[in-house]
Amino acid sequence: MKTAMNDSNEVLVDCQNVWKIFGARAPAAVKAVSERGLSKKQVLKDFDCVVGVSDASLQVRRGEIFCIMGLSGSGKSTLIRLLNRLIEPSLGKITVKGREIAKLNAAELRDMRARNIGMVFQSVALLPYRTVLENAAFGLEVRGVARDERNKTARAALEKVGLADWTARYPSELSGGMQQRVGLARALAADPEIILMDEPFSALDPLIRRQLQDEFRQLTKSLGKSAVFITHDLEEAIRIGDRIAIMKDGVIVQVGTAEEIVTKPADDYVSDFVAGISRIHLVKAHSVMRPLAEFKSAQPHCDVDALLRTSPEADIGELIDLTMQSDRDAVAVVENGAVVGVVTTRGLLRGVAGTTAGEPVAA
Amino acid sequence: MDTSIIADTFDTWTDDALSWISDNGEWLFEFVRMVLEGTYGGILWLLQLAPFYVIAVIAAACGWRMINAVAGALIGVALVFCALMGLWAETMSTLALVITATILALLVGIPVGIVAGFARSFDRFLEPVLDLIQTLPPYIYLLPAIALLGYGPATALVATFIVAMPPAIRLTSLGIRMTPREFIELGQASGLTPWQMFTKIRLPFAIPSIMAGINQSLMMAFGMVVIAGIVGSGGLGETIYGAVRTLDIATSINAAIAIVILTMVLDRLAQSAARTANGGRR
Repeated sequence: MKTAMNDSNEVLVDCQNVWKIFGARAPAAVKAVSERGLSKKQVLKDFDCVVGVSDASLQVRRGEIFCIMGLSGSGKSTLIRLLNRLIEPSLGKITVKGREIAKLNAAELRDMRARNIGMVFQSVALLPYRTVLENAAFGLEVRGVARDERNKTARAALEKVGLADWTARYPSELSGGMQQRVGLARALAADPEIILMDEPFSALDPLIRRQLQDEFRQLTKSLGKSAVFITHDLEEAIRIGDRIAIMKDGVIVQVGTAEEIVTKPADDYVSDFVAGISRIHLVKAHSVMRPLAEFKSAQPHCDVDALLRTSPEADIGELIDLTMQSDRDAVAVVENGAVVGVVTTRGLLRGVAGTTAGEPVAA
Repeated sequence: MDTSIIADTFDTWTDDALSWISDNGEWLFEFVRMVLEGTYGGILWLLQLAPFYVIAVIAAACGWRMINAVAGALIGVALVFCALMGLWAETMSTLALVITATILALLVGIPVGIVAGFARSFDRFLEPVLDLIQTLPPYIYLLPAIALLGYGPATALVATFIVAMPPAIRLTSLGIRMTPREFIELGQASGLTPWQMFTKIRLPFAIPSIMAGINQSLMMAFGMVVIAGIVGSGGLGETIYGAVRTLDIATSINAAIAIVILTMVLDRLAQSAARTANGGRR
C-alpha cells in the first residue's frame, strides 16, 4: 500500500516559486529573473550565474514521504538545503509548519532546525571522537537535554534502527550500513516532524540499500514523520516515496505518485527514465482496464459476471496471478460491488510494456 | 651621495629606540624577568626534589604505560646514563627551561591560532610575521632580550618562547580551518550556536593538528635552549658553550648526548600522549 494510514492534508513544508542563483552577479540576475522572467540559459549568458534551482514549487504533507529524484547537477541537493535554510533562497517563499523560514532570526532558525527539521547526510557525518550513543544523542545535547534523559532517548532511537548492542562503539568500528543507521537514529532521537534525507543510501551496496529503504519507509510511517528524500535512483524513489518529484537542470519536471510518473511521464526526459522500470507492481488495474461499456460492445458474448473479480487497486502482478488461475482471458474490476471494467490479457501486456496503443476492434 | 648614511641613521634610530625602551620600561622588564625566572625556578625546584633514579623510574613507568615495555626500559636506562655522565643537574635545568618556554609558547600560541583560524584577515596578517620569525637566524632573538632582560635564564626563556611559538600558532589555526565541510553542515542543520560549533565540532577536529603543533613547539624549544647557552641560560646549553670555548671536546660530546637523550624521551612521550588524545579515531 502506497497510501499512508496517517495521511492528512496538513502541509508541513511549502515551497513556492523558489529560485537559487549562484554567482558573483547573482543579485542582478535575480532582479532580471523576477522582472523580466529570464530563462536559465539567458541568466548564464547575460550574468555568468548558475541557476541551481529554478522556479521550484512543492508541498510536503504531514506523514508523507516526498522523494526528489534527479541526476547529479540537477539541483536536488540545493533544493533540500533550501528547506532548512542551509542555503538562502534567491527568490520565492519557503514555509515550514506555517512559518516563513527566511524571516526567522538566528535563534529562531536554530530552534527550528534543532526541534522540527532533522537531516541525514550521504556522508553520514558521524563524529569520529564520539561513541555511537553520544552521536545519536548529539541533537538533544545541543538542545541542553540532561545526560541521563538524552542517553535514554538516544538508546531508544538506536533500538529502533537495530543497533542497541553497539552503543559503546566508535563509528569507525561500524559498517557503512550501520553508520547510516546511526545517522538515522541521530535524526530520530531529536524527534523532528520533518526529516531531510540527502541521498542517505547512495554509497551503500545494493542489498543493504534495499534493506535500509524498506526499514526507513516502515519506520517513518510508524512514527508518523514526514520526510523529504533525495535520490538519483528512480527505483529507490519508487520504493520509498508516496510522491516523487523529478528534477532536471534545476527545474521540477513532474510531481506525482510512482504510478502517475510511470504511466503518464510528463516529457521525453521522464519517459526515458521510466523506460527501464518494472511496471508489475506500479501499474494498477484501473489504468489498464477497459471500461465495462466499451468491453461489452467489443465482446458482446462474454459473460462479465462469470469472470474472476478484483479491485481497481490490484497491480499487474496480482492481475497476472488471477488470469493464470482462470480459463478466461479477462478479469473483472469491481468497485463498490459493481463491475466497472475488464482487464484483458492484451490490456495486461500493454500495461507491462508501457505502450499506449489502443485496443484492436476485434479482440 | 654616501649611501652609508642611510644605514647609519637607521642603526642610530634602532639603538636609540632600544635604550629608550630599556630606560623607560625598566620596571616592566624587571617584572617580566621576575615572572619568567620565578616560573623556571619553580619547575626546576620540583624536578630537583627527587634524586635522579626516582625521576628515571617515573619516566620509565610513563614510557611503559604510554608506549611499551621496551620503550620504558630504554627511557629509564638513557636517563640514568645522563646522571652517570655527571650531567644530571644540567639536564634537569635544561628540561625546566624547555618546559617553561613551551608552556608559555602554548599559552600564547594556541589562543592566537584559534583566533587566526576563524579570522581570515588576521591570519593573512600573521602569516608573514610568522614567516619572518621562522626565517631569521634564532641568535637574533638573544640580542634584544639580553639588552632588556640581562644575562641569565629569563633571556634564554624569551628567545626560546619566540622560536617555539610559531608552530603552535600555525598548526592550531590550520586545525580550526580544516574542519570537514560535512560536519559544519551537520552542526548548522542540528541548530548549533556558534560557541557549540566551536567546542563540539571545530575544536575536537582540530585536536590532532594542535597536538602536532605542541610537539613541534617542544622540538623547536630544545633547539633554541642549546643556543641560549651563550646568554647564560644554565643547563646543557651553557655546558656545551663553555666546552666549545675551551676546546673541551669530550665534555661537549657528553652534553650533546644528554641533549639527544632528553629530546628523544620527551618527543616519544609527547607523541604517544597525542595519540591517546586522539582517542576513538582510527
